[in-house]
Amino acid sequence: MKKSLLIFLLCGLCCTLGYAQERQIQGTVTNGVNETLPGVSIRVKGSQKGVSTDANGLFHLSIQGNAVLIVSYLGYKTQEIAVGNQHTLTIRLEPDVTMLDEVVAIGYGTTRKKDLTGAVASISGEKLAAVPVASAAEAITGRLPGVQVTSTEGSPDAEMKIRVRGGGSITGDNTPLFIVDGFPVPSISDIASADIESIDVLKDASSTAIYGSRGANGVIIITTKSGKAGKFTLHYNTYGGPRKIAKKLDVLTPFDYAKWQYERSLLDDKPETYTDYFGNYQDMDLYNEVQGNDWQDQVFGRIGFTFNHNLSISGGTEKTKYTVSHNYISDKAIMQLSNFKRNNLTLKLNNKPHERVTLDFSLRYSKTKVAGGGANEQNEVSSADSRLKYAMIYPPIPVSGLTDEGETDEAFSLYNPLVALTDNDRSQERITYNLNASAAWELIDHLQLKSEVGLDDYRNADNRFYGTTTYYVRNIPAAENQGYPAIVFTKLKRESFRNTNTLAYDFKKHLPQDHHLQVLVGQEYIITKQETHTTAVHGFPKTFTFEHATNLSAQGHANSIENYLSPDDKLLSFFGRANYDFQSKYLLSATFRADGSSKFSKGNQWGYFPSVAGAWRISAEPFMENTHNWLDDLKLRASYGTAGNNNIPPGQMTQTFDVKTTAWVNGFNSYWAASKTMANADLKWETTVTRNIGLDFSTLNSRLGGTLDLYYNSTKDLLILFPISGAGYDNQYRNMGETQNKGIELALNWLAVTKENFELTFNANIGINRNKIVSMGQMDDFTAQSGWASTEVGADYLIATGGSVGQMYGFKHAGRYEATDFTGYDTAKGQWILKDGVVDASPTVGTLRPGTMKLVDTNKDHLVNESDKTVIGNANPLHTGGFGLSARIYHFDLTANFNWSYGNDIYNANKVEYTTTSKYHSRNMISLMADGQRWTNLLPDGTISNDPAQLQEMNANTTLWSPYMKQFVLSDWAIEDGSFLRLNTLTVGYTLPTKLSRRIGMNRLRIYASGYNVHTWTDYSGFDPEVSTRRKTPLTPGVDYSAYPKSRLLVFGLNVSF
Amino acid sequence: MKTINIYYILGITLLISSILCACKDTLDAPTKSSMDESVIFSTPSLAEGAIAGVIQSFAETNSYRGRYLVFYGINTDCEVYNSLRNVNDDKARLSNYNTNVNNGQMNSDNNAWAKFYEGIERANMAIRGLRTYGDVENKPEMAQILGEMLTLRAVVYNDLLKAWGDVPARFEPVNAETVYLPRSDRDVIYKQLLADLEEASKLVAWPNATTVTASTERVNKAFVKGLRARLALAAGGYSQRADGSVRRSTDPELAPEKMYEIAKKECLDVINSGTCKLQGFEEVFKTLCQEQSRAGLESLWEIPFSEGRGRVIFDLGVRHTNVDQYTGQNRGGTNGPNPLMYYAYDADDARRDVTCVPYEWTDGIQVPTSLSRWCFGKYRYEWLPRRVTSTNDDGLNWLYMRYADVVLMAAEAINELDGPAAAAPYLKMIRERAFPGHNDKVTTFMQQATTSKEAFFNAIVNERALEFTGEMLRKGDLIRWNLLGTKLQEAKSKLTQLQNREGAYADLPEKIYYKTAEDGESVVIYGLNHGDTDATGQSLGYPSNKTWTLNAENESPYWDALFVRNPDEQQFWPIWQVFIDGSNGQLNNDGYNYQ
Repeated sequence: MKKSLLIFLLCGLCCTLGYAQERQIQGTVTNGVNETLPGVSIRVKGSQKGVSTDANGLFHLSIQGNAVLIVSYLGYKTQEIAVGNQHTLTIRLEPDVTMLDEVVAIGYGTTRKKDLTGAVASISGEKLAAVPVASAAEAITGRLPGVQVTSTEGSPDAEMKIRVRGGGSITGDNTPLFIVDGFPVPSISDIASADIESIDVLKDASSTAIYGSRGANGVIIITTKSGKAGKFTLHYNTYGGPRKIAKKLDVLTPFDYAKWQYERSLLDDKPETYTDYFGNYQDMDLYNEVQGNDWQDQVFGRIGFTFNHNLSISGGTEKTKYTVSHNYISDKAIMQLSNFKRNNLTLKLNNKPHERVTLDFSLRYSKTKVAGGGANEQNEVSSADSRLKYAMIYPPIPVSGLTDEGETDEAFSLYNPLVALTDNDRSQERITYNLNASAAWELIDHLQLKSEVGLDDYRNADNRFYGTTTYYVRNIPAAENQGYPAIVFTKLKRESFRNTNTLAYDFKKHLPQDHHLQVLVGQEYIITKQETHTTAVHGFPKTFTFEHATNLSAQGHANSIENYLSPDDKLLSFFGRANYDFQSKYLLSATFRADGSSKFSKGNQWGYFPSVAGAWRISAEPFMENTHNWLDDLKLRASYGTAGNNNIPPGQMTQTFDVKTTAWVNGFNSYWAASKTMANADLKWETTVTRNIGLDFSTLNSRLGGTLDLYYNSTKDLLILFPISGAGYDNQYRNMGETQNKGIELALNWLAVTKENFELTFNANIGINRNKIVSMGQMDDFTAQSGWASTEVGADYLIATGGSVGQMYGFKHAGRYEATDFTGYDTAKGQWILKDGVVDASPTVGTLRPGTMKLVDTNKDHLVNESDKTVIGNANPLHTGGFGLSARIYHFDLTANFNWSYGNDIYNANKVEYTTTSKYHSRNMISLMADGQRWTNLLPDGTISNDPAQLQEMNANTTLWSPYMKQFVLSDWAIEDGSFLRLNTLTVGYTLPTKLSRRIGMNRLRIYASGYNVHTWTDYSGFDPEVSTRRKTPLTPGVDYSAYPKSRLLVFGLNVSF
Repeated sequence: MKTINIYYILGITLLISSILCACKDTLDAPTKSSMDESVIFSTPSLAEGAIAGVIQSFAETNSYRGRYLVFYGINTDCEVYNSLRNVNDDKARLSNYNTNVNNGQMNSDNNAWAKFYEGIERANMAIRGLRTYGDVENKPEMAQILGEMLTLRAVVYNDLLKAWGDVPARFEPVNAETVYLPRSDRDVIYKQLLADLEEASKLVAWPNATTVTASTERVNKAFVKGLRARLALAAGGYSQRADGSVRRSTDPELAPEKMYEIAKKECLDVINSGTCKLQGFEEVFKTLCQEQSRAGLESLWEIPFSEGRGRVIFDLGVRHTNVDQYTGQNRGGTNGPNPLMYYAYDADDARRDVTCVPYEWTDGIQVPTSLSRWCFGKYRYEWLPRRVTSTNDDGLNWLYMRYADVVLMAAEAINELDGPAAAAPYLKMIRERAFPGHNDKVTTFMQQATTSKEAFFNAIVNERALEFTGEMLRKGDLIRWNLLGTKLQEAKSKLTQLQNREGAYADLPEKIYYKTAEDGESVVIYGLNHGDTDATGQSLGYPSNKTWTLNAENESPYWDALFVRNPDEQQFWPIWQVFIDGSNGQLNNDGYNYQ
């Protein structure tokens, strides 16, 4: 310690002594387009001396003699420049395509990409900045191999499902661990993309093991921007533009609608369901004259508007750096009542009070407001209120007795689409504060102690209104309050505290020059407390709106007030990592983490997660010398390790008595009972073993680079929410079963052209993942229900050994019954008689006649019922990926990003609902079932034909069955190929030449236009193939039911920096 | 240099302190929003909440509320599923003795089976808690709660045994060893329940003896004893066993005489206590629909559905085809009386028109249905003091047992033990209530019934049909008497006769003739009574008539849909596939011959 200080002092003395011989030089640093670069580090080789370029890319430096300058800047190749006699230098930096020196966050530290031994995919803030998006999750869509990002629907606050290498759990949530500036957070949707410096995704256990217990599903590390030393800089970015629904589906014309209702009423033997509402058959022609309402247009058709602004200020000195940024998004969405607003404020301070001490402080604040009830809800008691169906199948014309206000026929059970919106209104407000402070001491040379403390405070207020048409108010409140508006206020408060201490040592002094060894040991403690307060108020006056109910809640009757305090979630960890390399040629790293979780009982609390990885830089070997003219870098990586998962709710160890509200038991408002999930004191960590082999290469003078990874992950002791109904409980968390994920990932970068006025780069990535359930303990299979049609469809997902999660389960369709399937019509009995040997689907579809939907009898008992269900689809894609190109011609730039998913199936539940009568009358259908497409039984004289030959002739050109069915039936007809290729973003920009922008006092001025969701190539017939709306359990992915339609957005923006 | 030393010390202290904190109970995280058993079960006001916990399981979507009450107990000679003609439909298959293991109505993990065991588990935990912390010897209100818990558990087991035969016996809270249990011999369960109820009868109060037992929504001693009698009769009776045979228990402890003794004793205890009484027959159900739940009348106990929960009228009541002045939901009539029932009553029997309703409500007026589709008149929206607004529930309590059942069980047991003369007074009580003002008919009937023990038994068999149609007791009764197949065969041939107007039905007209009464909503029908003729019907000049037939022109024979397989070999439902799959190999339907 003393010694090092002495050296430091000596250095200082030398500098002072040499002052007399110094001379001043100055220079400018630019990039390929002759734009000046601020913040570039200029160091004098062999000395401590260094400066950074200012906002104009200028630097001044005093040197001695023939100094050599080392010029480095993130994303550019580091250059060494001999000054010689020059006094003024112009340094042009070349972009570094392979980014070998790029710094990658690996958890409790960073490393150079070239020293990586694990599988890490990264994206830099600059790349993100080229196409501004609202959130971090959107930013990585299609950009990183092996990272699948699915936007589950089109609402402005839609959940983004993120999966790294498939995910190993069955019933559990496979969401990766999100770490923002070191702090684990449950979601990254409230992080402004403009604040992001980089996103790193750790994929294999050798990199995730440092996060031990929670790394099994991958780790996404987001680092936000920090201030850089140099002059004050100000960046301002703003954009705004209109959005519009991307696709609509046609519905029947008013005449066809009426005509079908007539035929349906005859088939149902209830002609009054036509005549009561639509009049006489003879007058049907009237409907030819009327113009139908376009409900889709009225509900989802408004032109939305997005406005986004971001202001960031940064600067400071070598001692103190700061950055402050503010981000604001306002999104008027396409659906009526639907709006989104978010404010982000970030403050970061960095201070060096002593040459061996660094202090960091950061504050992130975000406030998100979401207005509107969306098109569906995950945790709603019933799917009856799903809003999209109203816009699709509500009568297109006013029909007396159906579309009047007031009583609606139960067997029709639809409400005005706009009324349904106001009756299901909702507002949500999320506020997050995140405070982090850290101090790093260099105790002795190369030994650094770092201590961090952080606090994360999350509050969510959710107000959900239920108007008079909702299922909730008709069924949930006590009888006297039924039919009157109700509101449910939910307030959630979550506080996390974190303390991390690490000690890092670099064995530089003790090892020969070719050997490098760095060791890190650390300890971490995280505690999370959560409290939920739910108040349900029922029985408001009928005239009350959402606003009334929110503001005047005392007018209603408090039904339940529940304050629920979750058990604390505590995690105590110890970890260590050693990185060793020899000549940067042979690299070895080992990680070990021990995690203790309060979610498990004593004896099972501790999980131990070791990993090891090695890399061999083949290109550095002497025998590769003759390849150096074309191969810049070639590295082979291999890793093996374990990571864990404790992603279950806390409090599973003991069976406790909870009190719950009831509106079902006369004389009681609440009851005591054990949780429906049985306790399990024997729970332990779920463990994922990952094996990874990777290859990094860079060729053609760094013009072509890429990464190839092969992996094989197996997860055992799965924490499964195991169904045990029949034993007194619904389920129990257990460690059982095993799954595996195998896959290949490839990412490529190609710098095709690098002319002074023309640059063109391509990037592409693909991830192939195969998920398999190896075992489920004592079960072979079980079914799950997506429940979009309440209990009508029944089991529609099969989770079976040998398969994967997401297998759709239903009937195979066999077209329709033709007249030739029947021996004829028995007039006496009034029914069609099936020929012997023809399958009888009546238990599933209802009364049979020619034109009825026909299903395959898989078990050959001539009846189609539950026993004939089989696997008919799979929600897992064969591969996903993305590619993009960016080009610059003179001062114009162009960026296009595509993403795709191939081979996954979508369960188009909308299609089933919009083409089947089920038990309802007078509902509209989509034009797929238009007259001429569907089987018709109706003769021009207004009667039903029962003549086989006549029917066959009438339907010679029709292709589909008759929509008349007793219930919704899931067949493989509704399982569609969900493959798509999307031009996700397209941006064209123009940067004012620096000379011009300087004149108006700006460093940089760029204007641009971006299109989002520009075009989708797909065979999918629904609104959008990127969808998953039944997310209550992870067992039912890929259902398209009542999704908020996606929109297309065009924005114009401005980038300014001073 | 001093500053550096301070950093050293600081850093090392920090490290040591962080390591130390690991050694303590850092990782303990007790639950917060829960309460300890010792507190709950030693505080009466809290322990009562555990009763609600069990009822909550009854009220779950697919428990008693949505599945058991509507599907158990049909088809018999008294009660049928009204859409039974769709023989292959999963709903019909629950009632036509051809039940499939993966039945779409029942094969889900939240079904009655699961919710019944959830209720049992809740009761088991409460019983353990009350016995440990409740001090029931010294605290009568805790004794009452323990007695209620024992009784509620017996209620659930009674219905499990009725529907599934042998079922797993769970009388202790589940632990890791008992998560998976095989079916237990039903005799074991019966013995436990008989003992439980004997204990419970000493713990709970007679109706109206305490404020708690002033309501039929809480368990009283009369109900406990009545339920014990019901279980004793079932335990001593016939049923299909796992080996396929239909027989009585071979366990000497469950010998028929012993069971009759229990039934006799318990029923007489109730009758002699004078705590309950027979009301007028219609009054019984009007009282039920008034939702007063007053103890001391005929109702002994009701499943206490809140007004917004439960599907009694929804499934079993008089049907309203659309929303009208009496109801905001268009439901009712899922099940109804076997068409034979109406004609089985004497025209003067007060029970006939309460039990069998030949009409449904359309646009707020009564409209005759058809001979093949009747409604139970015991449950009516129009009798409720409120208009139902829920779309899915009506909120009427389920009348689980009434005093008349106790009286008839007494008559049955006493006839077996002491002969018809001793039993006669009890049958007579019921008969007199059924024929107010027709004492001559009662006397004649009693004379015929008491000619022999067998005649008396047959009279009981018949009387229970007349008395309880619509209360879903018939199937259990027929099974314990070993008359299920016989009575269904009999019903089949009688239905054929009814359709053809042969035999006992030869004196019925082809059509019915009807008009709306002056009140503007009731229907007046001619042609339903024996001896009515078409000639008279036509002469009445009523504006409407319809052919009164079981099989409309376009329909297959009604009677063929009553049962598909031999009812005596299909007395129970199978355990549903989802529960077999989830039983770790412990459960199966072997021996029950299901498809």
